Amino acid sequence: MIVFEDVGFRYGRGPDVLKNLDFEVPEGAFTFVTGASGAGKSSLLRLLYLDAVPSSGRISMFGRDVTTLSRDEIAWFRRRIGVVFQDFRLLDHLTAAENVALPLRVAGAKVSEYRENVVEMLRWVGLGDQMDVKPPQLSGGEKQRIAIARAVVASPDIILADEPTGSVDPVMAERIMQLFVEMNRLGKTVVLATHDLDLAEQTGHPVLELQGGSLMARVAA
Amino acid sequence: MRRGALISFQASGGLLMVLIVAAMAFLACFAMAGTLGASKLANAWTEGLSGAATVRIGAEDGVSQDQVDIVLDILRETDGVIEATPLTDEEVAALLEPWFGTTPRLEDLPAPTIIAVRIDPLNEPESAILQARLDGAGAGAIYDDHGEWRGRAASAARAVRNVALGALIICALAIAMVVVLTVRSSLAAQRATIATLRLAGAEDRFVAGVYQTRYLWLGLAGGVIGCAMAGAAMLAVDALASVGRALPALAATGQWWLGPVAVVVFVAVLCVLAARLTVLRALRSGA
Ligand SMILES: Nc1ncnc2c1ncn2[C@@H]1O[C@H](COP(=O)(O)OP(=O)(O)O)[C@@H](O)[C@H]1O
Ligand SMILES: [Mg+2]
Repeated sequence: MIVFEDVGFRYGRGPDVLKNLDFEVPEGAFTFVTGASGAGKSSLLRLLYLDAVPSSGRISMFGRDVTTLSRDEIAWFRRRIGVVFQDFRLLDHLTAAENVALPLRVAGAKVSEYRENVVEMLRWVGLGDQMDVKPPQLSGGEKQRIAIARAVVASPDIILADEPTGSVDPVMAERIMQLFVEMNRLGKTVVLATHDLDLAEQTGHPVLELQGGSLMARVAA
Repeated sequence: MRRGALISFQASGGLLMVLIVAAMAFLACFAMAGTLGASKLANAWTEGLSGAATVRIGAEDGVSQDQVDIVLDILRETDGVIEATPLTDEEVAALLEPWFGTTPRLEDLPAPTIIAVRIDPLNEPESAILQARLDGAGAGAIYDDHGEWRGRAASAARAVRNVALGALIICALAIAMVVVLTVRSSLAAQRATIATLRLAGAEDRFVAGVYQTRYLWLGLAGGVIGCAMAGAAMLAVDALASVGRALPALAATGQWWLGPVAVVVFVAVLCVLAARLTVLRALRSGA
């Protein structure tokens, strides 16, 4: 499903941010990416949601070399990839419900087609009564859950999450992890980046550990 | 569930855009009237001249009936001539009246003989050839199909039309430029939002569609305001012009409003296309 072959990445002419990455994420897997701040976790996810192309090596997803995709194909691939961004990337001028509906709307769906789905998603993340609130009026944890609802609403094949428990208390973190486990049970491939190695190891899922942009160890389940 | 605007546009930018489009549409309506009116103008100037010609037979020492008959024979043999009739003295007098008044008796003047020639406008005789044949007959006849006057009227009308077309093109360019500039500045201001739309799976044409919808409304608003004002102005000009009929009336025909309506449609289409191309180009070049 996701294959990295000797992938290197740098921003512009800057230093290598990712080096010699060689790994595979099988379909339906739940994989952690860990490492200290600055290790390259977010950059690795950017490659996965096609916001950046590798400086060297090859990445293939859904059986395609991602560097050969046209702009339209990138858009269509992204519809199969749900992302929880580290900084959420919510649109402040839209309500919580409109933010959650975004992936459906840009894919051309009508309100009548997605209304129930969006409401259900907001309930699932515990924000059923905040549907018409705009992000600036929400707490960090609430924004994070809206970002999660938006990432999964279109039922993507791959879910990428960048520090999805970064701005919540341990109880909420536990609940959020539970949401990803549920999605994984439904057959979605989940790649979750966190600096919290303990959290990753507790679950017993495979861990890709980055250090200075290199893959240190692959801890098998 | 609401369906809020995906991109928040600045109201002040929209207002500016509407005002500029309105001004350009206003001017475009008059340019349009100029383009369409130019041929009407030429027709007004040459009205009745097409299909009519005259032959004048010189008069210093009087004109003999023989001369007239020779000329009539030549004319009637010429392809494209429908009819050739000498004017009676009264008709000539009527023609000369504006210059000489009614007092002098025609017999006292060395009046030329004038033959009115009706020609087929679709098959006009070649005037140079006809003139050569008349010269050959030695009757001292001069053929005049008003070609020079009609030619000058036509080229004046062409000039009016070209200037009006140029003005139309300038209006269109000005509108396109305003669209390109305001779309570009909006794209820059909305960079983060657009990046989020793309990351959520939006194709470039989806983003372009958001701008197209916006600029369709701005274009329609500006176009309707500008053209409504132009229409009102045309009716007012007509009311003044109808007194002397010096100008061919802008609104004289039943379909005069077609011009302004065409301008509204054209302006709206122009705004949509310019917005679309600007967005697609900017996104592809990696904005
Ligand atoms: N947009 C960027 N431009 C240049 N350098 C960047 C950019 N984003 C991240 N970096 C650099 O890339 C390295 C890895 O960053 P990042 O992938 O964000 O790590 P992590 O998510 O593990 O904290 C860091 O050295 C960071 O400074
Ligand atoms: Mg990060």
